[in-house]
Amino acid sequence: MTTAADDFLDLSDIQGIVVKAYSRFGFPVARYVLFRIDLPAHGRKFVVGITPMITTGVRWTDPASIPSAATNIAFTYKGLKHLDVLDASLHGFSDEFSMGMKARRDIVGDTGPNHPRHWDPVWHNESETGQHVHILVTIDGKGETEVEARYRQILALLVECPGVVQLSGQRGGGSDDLPYQPAAAIPPKPEEAGFPGGKEHFGYSDGISTTFFKGCGADPMEVIGEDKPVKGDPRTLEGWAPVAAGELIFGYPDEAFEYPEAPGPPLFSRNGTYLVYRKLHENTGSFESYLEAEGARFPGGKEALAAKFAGRWRNGAPLATFPTQESADRYIAELSALQLKVWAGQASPAEQARYQELALQLVALDYGDDKDGARCPFGAHTRRVNPRSALRFGNKKAFADDPGALSNRRRVLRRGLPYGRSETPARDDGDHGIVIMIVNADLSRQFEFVQQQWITFGNDFKLANDQDPLPGNHGTSKNCRAGGRMII
Amino acid sequence: MANQSGNAYALALLCPVRAGAPPAGFDGQCQESYAAHLRYVLQSVRVSGDSPMARVPNTYLSRFFLLDDVFYQGSPALEEHLKSSYLVFCCNFHGELEPYLTGMWKTIESEVRLILNHCVGFSDQTVRDAAAFIAYIKKCEIKTTFYFNGSTDQPLAEQLKGLYLKQEFSKFAFENQGRSAREIQEAFGEFIKGTEPENTARPAWKPGVYDLDKVVAK
Amino acid sequence: MNVITPLKWLTTLRTRLIFWGAGKLPSTTLGLVTLSLIHYARWVILRPKDFPHLGPEQPKEDLQYCYMLFFSNFNGSWDQYVDSFSSTIPTGLDSFWYKNIKYTNSIPMLPFHRYITWNQIWTDNYYNAYPMASTNDVKSAQKVRQNLIDFARSTANATPDDFQRQYNKLLLSLQHDLSQMGLNPVVSLSASAVDRRLGKERRGVS
Repeated sequence: MTTAADDFLDLSDIQGIVVKAYSRFGFPVARYVLFRIDLPAHGRKFVVGITPMITTGVRWTDPASIPSAATNIAFTYKGLKHLDVLDASLHGFSDEFSMGMKARRDIVGDTGPNHPRHWDPVWHNESETGQHVHILVTIDGKGETEVEARYRQILALLVECPGVVQLSGQRGGGSDDLPYQPAAAIPPKPEEAGFPGGKEHFGYSDGISTTFFKGCGADPMEVIGEDKPVKGDPRTLEGWAPVAAGELIFGYPDEAFEYPEAPGPPLFSRNGTYLVYRKLHENTGSFESYLEAEGARFPGGKEALAAKFAGRWRNGAPLATFPTQESADRYIAELSALQLKVWAGQASPAEQARYQELALQLVALDYGDDKDGARCPFGAHTRRVNPRSALRFGNKKAFADDPGALSNRRRVLRRGLPYGRSETPARDDGDHGIVIMIVNADLSRQFEFVQQQWITFGNDFKLANDQDPLPGNHGTSKNCRAGGRMII
Repeated sequence: MANQSGNAYALALLCPVRAGAPPAGFDGQCQESYAAHLRYVLQSVRVSGDSPMARVPNTYLSRFFLLDDVFYQGSPALEEHLKSSYLVFCCNFHGELEPYLTGMWKTIESEVRLILNHCVGFSDQTVRDAAAFIAYIKKCEIKTTFYFNGSTDQPLAEQLKGLYLKQEFSKFAFENQGRSAREIQEAFGEFIKGTEPENTARPAWKPGVYDLDKVVAK
Repeated sequence: MNVITPLKWLTTLRTRLIFWGAGKLPSTTLGLVTLSLIHYARWVILRPKDFPHLGPEQPKEDLQYCYMLFFSNFNGSWDQYVDSFSSTIPTGLDSFWYKNIKYTNSIPMLPFHRYITWNQIWTDNYYNAYPMASTNDVKSAQKVRQNLIDFARSTANATPDDFQRQYNKLLLSLQHDLSQMGLNPVVSLSASAVDRRLGKERRGVS
């Protein structure tokens, strides 16, 4: 067991988006803005100008320390080149980063309907090597007003730097040419009003689990179920330890007891990391009609089927712990009611304790008591992308008693929010989906591996070519000719 | 020594490649060393279902490569070099060595000659029949120190039949979800008639084929 | 994958002992079995005199070191799975490559990755009898076939209801064996280049 007391991370030099899941701090609205740098001097001036606005990872100890909006920034390889970063440093980046995601499409499964030619127009008009998206700025805020104000502040910098151009061409709201990507959390249903986390367009509660890493400054109780499983009861602190910071941030040791590979000099890369930006459209119409049709003949009905897909009920309760809808509903209702009391400062000590106990159950599981997948299928989304101890397949002695031996080096941080509106009745062609940002120190070992082997393939789960039922590529491409399949 | 794990056999050969270059005219090439030409031959041999190895009974997996030299590990390690290049052939198959090699000779003698003619002591004159081939291979065989079998040791035909059935029964199970007992029973009768689970010969998967449209031998 | 690494003669004695023990004690390879990525793998220790010498026209080898050859057939690429190997079976790897010259230990991983890559020899021609199947698939296929044969026999004269009951039992016992196989994911840029060049004809296993 480790506590979060080891505060060796230089949180004031690490961006807030890495350390904090903003939605947990009451930031339900965001804008993602892209820029191109035409003149390196102006690019650098823009960076200097925006630096004071950048939100760091420094801990927000009380509500008053939380700003009205958070700003973060990321660069593509070409972006750094256009800032005149030294070649010697640029050459230290990995191929995955310097090539960009388009050129890696075969590896990450962006084929068929997911091919880059179907991406938003802002990603077109560039050759494979000639990225023209150079800078991503993310703005997260308490509301539309706060985000708009920050957006204006950032755009004002452009007046002094005409060599930096804001790129339009993001799809949404019937337009193909939005100047930025808007995103917003979908509020939970009234009966789940106190649920910590929003919804996404398929109706699942989202943002429940995040990776807890060494030194991240969060509440040490959050280590439970959110990091790497170790020997010990998975329902308690004894069962978990923080993931090494070097899995997620340059300049610190990782799970293999070494520094992750990063460009030099150390001052350049330290406290930085790789961020993957993906905008995933959700075919809500097909999803709902499939659930209706198949749910009608599935024991437990459509909600149970939806739960089997995700490994969580749509209300957020983990399937491995709450195998029936009734138990899941009861659990979430109680948790949600207590959460509201806690927020309002009206919870008695007994209620506080009960709340803690219930909140833990959201994440404190390792599939040790569901090794055959009787409750949560091997192929369920959350069991795939964060298998916890599941890859031991119940063989406790297999990996020197290290339950997370096959998952600890594949952990990532997921950020981002849903975008667009869900129509009623649901339809595929509307503007709705989710923007995900994946943070990790090794794109190949973490993001690409999870995306390829765990989302668009199944062998590690003994599922041959089956894919993740939710973000898998179930199109009509030759690699998944039989369409979506899942064994539950 | 551990060349065998159950009925699975791990064969490894180091066949010394002739030194220097063949006299002009060898297969229309000249001046290229035996080793370089052999590498060209190996890389030209068809792969997947068209590989000659697909015709050799009971071959699970096999590989050819040329070992030109050993690697120097840097100071203070010793620097040393091989005096010959070696053709390395590494193969996992079901059964005993001699029957396997006899099967290989019967099915792909000409391809074997095309390759091994580059090696010391092998020529149309010195190796005339299966017995001489087996004797040659045994001279080149190196013994495996530790063999790990992470798969099965069944005859290849049974493995391929199993894969065929796994694939087909999976489709059957998906297609018949929710049907009545009688319907499933009838469909299953047809399924068994069509797939003949006990008949390893066919229908089954063909060896080496990397294409779902072409893998089934009916 | 093929790897060749030097080691001293005295070291080979201990290594042989380790391999002998691993052959006797299944628990040694429990990690590898659970990992279930490898079809077949082998380690071969070559003393200088083990290099075949087939006639006077072949110069005799004059080597000081012994050499360990390692051959494995696994699903996916080495670059992708080096972490899985090094984090699940570090002590196994370290005892198999015990005291090979300049062996780095499998943790930290980056030097180990470089060591193996440096000493790797690329295969010129590879053949796999079932390029669309992983070792998980081959093992589960054996189970599916046996279960089907038994089931067909035992339900030959069953009533529909009895058939249904046994059929449900069959599906339950095969629930982890009924995923379908197909082409492998494109595991590296070189694999994707090969894919494009060969069209439909592709690689199988590393």
